[in-house]
Amino acid sequence: MHKLYENLGKIIPLGEMTLQRANLAFITLDRRYLRSALHHLRDVEGYSHLVLLTAVDWLEEDVFQLTYLLSNRTADMDVGLRVMLPRENASMDSIHDIWPTAATYQRELREMFGIDFPGSPRVNEEFILEGWQEIPPYRRDFDTKKYSEENFAHREGRVTKDPASHMKELLYPDRGQ
Amino acid sequence: MNYQPDRSKYPAKKADGTLDIDLTSGKYLKLWHGPNHPGITGNMSVELTVCGDEVVEGKVHVGYLHRGFEKLMERRSFIQCFPIVCRICVPEPDFNEYCYAAAIEELSGVVVPERAHWIRTMILEMGRINSYLMYLGGQAGALGQGVIGQWTTYVRDLMLDRFEELTGARIYHMFILPGGVRDDLPEGFKDRLEATLKEVDAVLKDVYDVMFKNAVFKRRSIGVGYIDPAWVDEYGITGPNARAAGVAKDVRKDQPYLVYDQLDFEPVVDHGSDIYTRADVRRRDVAMSVDLLRQILAKMPNEGPVMAKLPNVLHWQIPRGETYIRGECSRGEYGFYLVTDGSRFPRRVNVRGPSYTHAMTLLERMIVNTNISDIAALMVSLHTYPPEIER
Amino acid sequence: MSVQDVLSPFKAWKNLFRDPVTIADPINDRPGAARYRGFHQNDLDKCIGCGTCEEICQNGAIDMVEAVKIEQAEGDSGLRPRIDYGRCCWCALCVDVCMTGSLTMSNAYTWVDADPEEFRFTPGVDKKDWDDAELGYHRPEGLHLTPMTRVEMQEMEPGERVGNFDEIVCGYSVGEALVEADRCVSCGLCVATCPAHMAIPDYIAAIRDQDYEHGLEMLYDTNPFSQVCGRVCTHKCEDACSVGHEGEPIAIRWLKRHITENVPREKYMDIIGGTADGTGKKIAIIGAGPAGLTTAFDLVKMGHNITVFEAQSGPGGMARYGIPEYRMPYDDLDHEVSIITEMGVDIRYNMRVGKDIPMDQLRQDYDAVLLSIGLHVGRSTRIKGTEHKDVLKAVDLLRDITNGIKVKVPKKVVVIGGGNVAMDIARSMARLQKQKYGKVDLTVTALEDLQHFMADPEEVKEAGEEGIEIFDARGPQEIVLTKGGRISGLRTWKVISIFDDQGRFAPSYDEADEMLHKANMVIEAIGQASDVSLLGEELTEALDWNRGRLSVDAEGRTSQSWLWAAGDCVHGPDIIHAVADGHVVADSINAALNEQEEADAKD
Repeated sequence: MHKLYENLGKIIPLGEMTLQRANLAFITLDRRYLRSALHHLRDVEGYSHLVLLTAVDWLEEDVFQLTYLLSNRTADMDVGLRVMLPRENASMDSIHDIWPTAATYQRELREMFGIDFPGSPRVNEEFILEGWQEIPPYRRDFDTKKYSEENFAHREGRVTKDPASHMKELLYPDRGQ
Repeated sequence: MNYQPDRSKYPAKKADGTLDIDLTSGKYLKLWHGPNHPGITGNMSVELTVCGDEVVEGKVHVGYLHRGFEKLMERRSFIQCFPIVCRICVPEPDFNEYCYAAAIEELSGVVVPERAHWIRTMILEMGRINSYLMYLGGQAGALGQGVIGQWTTYVRDLMLDRFEELTGARIYHMFILPGGVRDDLPEGFKDRLEATLKEVDAVLKDVYDVMFKNAVFKRRSIGVGYIDPAWVDEYGITGPNARAAGVAKDVRKDQPYLVYDQLDFEPVVDHGSDIYTRADVRRRDVAMSVDLLRQILAKMPNEGPVMAKLPNVLHWQIPRGETYIRGECSRGEYGFYLVTDGSRFPRRVNVRGPSYTHAMTLLERMIVNTNISDIAALMVSLHTYPPEIER
Repeated sequence: MSVQDVLSPFKAWKNLFRDPVTIADPINDRPGAARYRGFHQNDLDKCIGCGTCEEICQNGAIDMVEAVKIEQAEGDSGLRPRIDYGRCCWCALCVDVCMTGSLTMSNAYTWVDADPEEFRFTPGVDKKDWDDAELGYHRPEGLHLTPMTRVEMQEMEPGERVGNFDEIVCGYSVGEALVEADRCVSCGLCVATCPAHMAIPDYIAAIRDQDYEHGLEMLYDTNPFSQVCGRVCTHKCEDACSVGHEGEPIAIRWLKRHITENVPREKYMDIIGGTADGTGKKIAIIGAGPAGLTTAFDLVKMGHNITVFEAQSGPGGMARYGIPEYRMPYDDLDHEVSIITEMGVDIRYNMRVGKDIPMDQLRQDYDAVLLSIGLHVGRSTRIKGTEHKDVLKAVDLLRDITNGIKVKVPKKVVVIGGGNVAMDIARSMARLQKQKYGKVDLTVTALEDLQHFMADPEEVKEAGEEGIEIFDARGPQEIVLTKGGRISGLRTWKVISIFDDQGRFAPSYDEADEMLHKANMVIEAIGQASDVSLLGEELTEALDWNRGRLSVDAEGRTSQSWLWAAGDCVHGPDIIHAVADGHVVADSINAALNEQEEADAKD
């Protein structure tokens, strides 16, 4: 893994590497160098299998982390490339020309996170949701509980008691606290 | 026998690469294959544009089974996520439990006892057999052979009985949790499992005789649905789909997890890469699973704890980190990408189901130039389970 | 296309001769497996209503509802889980986490009803036909979702500790405390059991969050003697702890101590201090023990002027003069009290009310008086020989040892009594013996058998480790003297029973089983009483009494409107009860003074 980091580092500037297991590492890099990195990994280092492309919403840090997970089938190694994007107007270069299957992942990220991949086939078509009016739902600021309370019926008659407060009410109501 | 298309019917390609389909010309017809269709393994649909009885374009529509697991898990603590992950893939739920548990164990440092690894492997293999049995029924059914589905569903039911007595439930077992497995094998379980495996052997023999040595099946499946080995990487094809195209990758062999490094097996690989070969690879996979189960039952240590000591699960916090756990399920590479941020809840769980890549872009490519009557067989031969596409 | 491929499928026809596999009557012929996760059962007597099932349920299917009457049932909230089957997914996490093992699942899986409301039910309360099913899912042996074993508290080895009065218990390190604090499930059942209703789950959570200052704030909100209680409390909370049913209860006492030890002393006043504006009211408190000083602490915070009259030369009452230093170091006790004096409470030592200052004076000079004089008079068995000068009371001896007086340490000592005081004096004398002679020769005899000793089991065990010999179920008959008039030993008979069939104290003995315990000194530790001589004849007549103790109402007020009483002297020996009393009395005094203020203002 360190060899890979070295080799890749010779071509493009890299951020930190996290070695999660002997055969899995995550490398952070700037979005400008992603396509070169992907090409190098696929064509030179043998990471020919795109396992997944997904996003993580770091709301507190105001970034989206895009994770491109690649696998080298012959050497059985995995490397995850982390690209940080600002959450505002998030958009990233499409890679569907490198891996046609990436089009599906990009479609899902567009719908669920609101990250645009200009040029990706069918990227603006509805993928999973139909007639969705709210913000992209996988974003951390989308509150599912609030959505559910506003849009779905509640079952009447729910009441629950906290053991400590209930015992206080019954056994020592006039003691302060 | 390869199907030779009549290219004169085909629409021309426009400058931007899309097809020039004029729906008012009377040449083309739009058909919906699905979402409720006996020719699909689940709920998804393909919007077909056909010319005569030949498909010129297909668009896959998914979303009928979106339950929002990845978002749900962000609000549930690690132990609370455990009962819902199994529902992500309905016919083979144990893989979800295993991948989720393994990801948590890796990020939190919990060490699983030895016997639990064996029991987990046994459950995964049992689940694999169930999944393949359902597939065989579906594959034959897609080509009009209803009887295979009846037989395989029955034997699958016997296996579900084994699950019921081991885990306490038939479909959603909720048995593999972070730290090990919930309980040990009940009395006499090994004997009853062996009896069920004998039933599996018997039905495989029948299926081979009736489905595979069958002129109609062969005629309709050999040479149909060809996957070019070059597509394997482009489209992220894994599992029997890739192995039938000659790409000899099986996660159980290449990156052994659980106890696969102590078991003796060779991945099933073939070269035909058509519907028949894929079905045959899967059939041989079932036989291999049965053999693996017999090995597991023989080699399993007789005693030992099955559950590690967990911290208080009500306030279990896992430090910031991310990992990816993969396994070889019946359909291909199944993986969980888990990101934690030091709180009690997972930051992000992304489930990589094999059908995600098989059923979308790959299917849209393969479906062009097929005859309508072959579509069902083609879709089933990719062994897609829609629940894992949209989670 | 071979002929074989055309003929082979006909093999399917063999199934014509096969029986159908469908089960004809699944409802009756197909029961769920032995482990099947079916419908819930709850053993209402075992269930304590801790609500942990509600907390773990990820579908929000469980609500805790009032179901069972509780009066003072310890450690039972009276709530029981109600489960909504529209939400439940039968994952059985509730069964796995159940603290008492009362919640289980049967293997029943069919339920048909026309009324959808029926499907939200309280198992055990709403009778169902699967309530008695034996098969079904029960928590597997070895599966615990919360840690069940307590982190062991490190203690000094017997050999090391018996020669000195150094503190035995080492206290938890931060790592140990985090592991122990993690075990708490925050059910809150302990809060009602604690006489002072300390916010136990909250301060344990503060340890998990490593926010010791907030933890200390919460401790002193309800207990200004947290450092003391963190060492010597009778910890009834731990008996009520829900984890104690299937595992070992949380070490609440040690965790409390841990918080007090992890806040620097200089910060205590910043966190705890602060008084309201002066009210001009003056209150006299007799006795600087836990009850008196807690009242003082509360009242001084409310802005009143407090003067405490303490007969001894140091503060703390029983906590100092009854509990030996190896259990409660004086340094920590002094720090505890210093917080109270720093807040403005004036303690006057060596002032015995009734001797150095008359009760009437207090009545005149102060707006209210609190009697918190404790139980400092030892009782005697009054058997033959107890008049001898070498027959001492444990209370007096403990006081002398605390005051640093060189007490007589004979080679052989017998202690009569099986309570904590007996253990305290026995272990203190053992230490003095070890220091003087290099060896321990001390015997304890008590009426009760070992299982029923009043003392803490830990005290009894540690006493045994320190070389003390315990003879249980023996009744003292006579203190035998030598011809020269010195004590030769204690004669005891075996006890058959202590109480008669009406429950009265009337021990019966087996006279044939007699022992003579050789000793040079006999110490009696069989109970204590208050020294109420300070009241004077007139006041004693005027007050109401209840079986030898002052009679007080629920607020601690005596029959005289200016006099309150609290602590050991009214409610029996227990520090945390004394603290709780202190709070009640402080509120009562404050309310009474406010009432008077308003009444005066009207005039």
